[in-house]
Amino acid sequence: MDKETLFREISHALVEFEVEKVAELAQETLRQNISAYETITEGLVTGMKEVGRLYEEEEYFLPEVLMCSDAFNAGLDVVNPHLDKDSLEKPIKMVIGVVEGDTHDIGKNLVRILSGASGFEVYDLGRDVPLDRFIEKAEEVGSDMICMSTLMTTTMDGMKIVINRLKERNLRDKYKVLIGGGPISQTFCDKIGADLYANDASSAVRKAKELMGRA
Amino acid sequence: MLIREDILTPKERMMALLTGKPLDRIICMPIVTTNTAQLIGKTVKEFQLDGKVMADAHIAGFKKFGYDLIYLFTNCSCIAEAMGAELVYSENEPAGCDVPVINSREDLSKIKVAEKNDGQLPVYYDALEILNKEVGDQVFIAVCFSGPVSTAATLRGVEAFAKDTYADPELCHTLLRMATDSCKNFIREIVSYGAMPIILEPIASGSIFSPKMFDKIAFPYIKELVDLAHELKALIPLHICGKTHKIIDKMTDTGADVISIDQCDLAIAREKVAGRALILGNIDPANELLFGPVEDIHKVCIEAIDTMKGYTPAFVLATGCETSNKVPMEHIQAMLDVARSHGLYEYTAEETK
Repeated sequence: MDKETLFREISHALVEFEVEKVAELAQETLRQNISAYETITEGLVTGMKEVGRLYEEEEYFLPEVLMCSDAFNAGLDVVNPHLDKDSLEKPIKMVIGVVEGDTHDIGKNLVRILSGASGFEVYDLGRDVPLDRFIEKAEEVGSDMICMSTLMTTTMDGMKIVINRLKERNLRDKYKVLIGGGPISQTFCDKIGADLYANDASSAVRKAKELMGRA
Repeated sequence: MLIREDILTPKERMMALLTGKPLDRIICMPIVTTNTAQLIGKTVKEFQLDGKVMADAHIAGFKKFGYDLIYLFTNCSCIAEAMGAELVYSENEPAGCDVPVINSREDLSKIKVAEKNDGQLPVYYDALEILNKEVGDQVFIAVCFSGPVSTAATLRGVEAFAKDTYADPELCHTLLRMATDSCKNFIREIVSYGAMPIILEPIASGSIFSPKMFDKIAFPYIKELVDLAHELKALIPLHICGKTHKIIDKMTDTGADVISIDQCDLAIAREKVAGRALILGNIDPANELLFGPVEDIHKVCIEAIDTMKGYTPAFVLATGCETSNKVPMEHIQAMLDVARSHGLYEYTAEETK
């Protein structure tokens, strides 16, 4: 199997969430001395990009994305030890979490999975995250973006508080603020002065890249 | 805005609808639940654990607004709790399940099919007894509970459950079976109090599962609940949060009497439900209703009424989901004001004769 065919097979198996097949094909790339970097970008990431597209088009949903993510990770586990870290483009750094008072984290996890799979360096703070923690972590890791999610109307205001605290500390321009979740809308985004609203995980990643000039 | 006082009581209005008689105005059922606790100075926690508090809070809400249905609801995990899940109660948020009880097949021994008195289910019966006595002659009362998919997903954790649909369908269906039987036990009891069971399926949402998966994991089990309610001669609404535009026809195929929707275009709903059920919805509780101003709330409610004009059996003006503690009471009033002005029907007392 030549390189291009192999990458195509990897992407295909990933989209069909055939975990073992992805791992076997990744082994095959190593046997053929194909660089891990190429396997990741041309095979695995290409596959996840397709998964993101299928998700955005409402062909794939939560279960399918989670299954594909397992296949992606299975491939990554095989080739990662052989990756030449210097070959990587400087990643966009993102701090992400569900705001304080809310534990619904499905949407946030989908953004983590899809952004991680398209080369973001993601710092996941989990759920019910104290508001100051977003800023502390962003400062600590030198993040480019702060992403906040919530499913509940009662906790939406937390996003505004984070933005206000960024302003108070003269840090507002340092970070792009991305928000999402069930009750969040473009209206709310405009109201609180966030940089970006996305209504699903896949478009969140796409728009985040555009915002960072990496589209 | 010229507001006319109601001519019929909510109960008379519903009976008129069910018996094909004229109504004085559009039926209006904003989903007002735990947020009534603030009307009597109680916490959400007290509301969830004490039937008297729940009843008093709802009486206060009903007296204030005169809406057409009292929705008893505590949290989305009460059936799971009755089956053996442990919930975390906080003062002013609905209780939730932080740690799933089922982490492997071996954990199945930790749960059981809920009987009517398990968990906090009796809180509802206490509340129903009081409400029936105090306001039962004026208004219908409903009890909202999570259906099979949402309950199974709570027991297992949503993401693990989602993966099981492919990786371990057998475990998935074992949990769904037990959850369905638990819901059935609860429905029998709710109906015995003369209340209406409302199935909530936030997790069976079209935002989470594909329509194809809905057919496998949601449809047959929900239909079983609908069939049971009908055997017991009760009406049963089905509420699904989030997106439903691709599953609303399937929701209707379950035979549910009311299709209660959140983020679904009303014109699509109208076309797909096509007179087979009442449509209830879908004013966004996180947008105009939360932020106001009142004029904007009037506007979206009027738009909804106009889109659904002439829909039979009926369109019920309601919120797309529960109104949270943060929704100002004046904003809920604004919805009812629209029902009592733009939503009026020509009506004279003689027509009822």
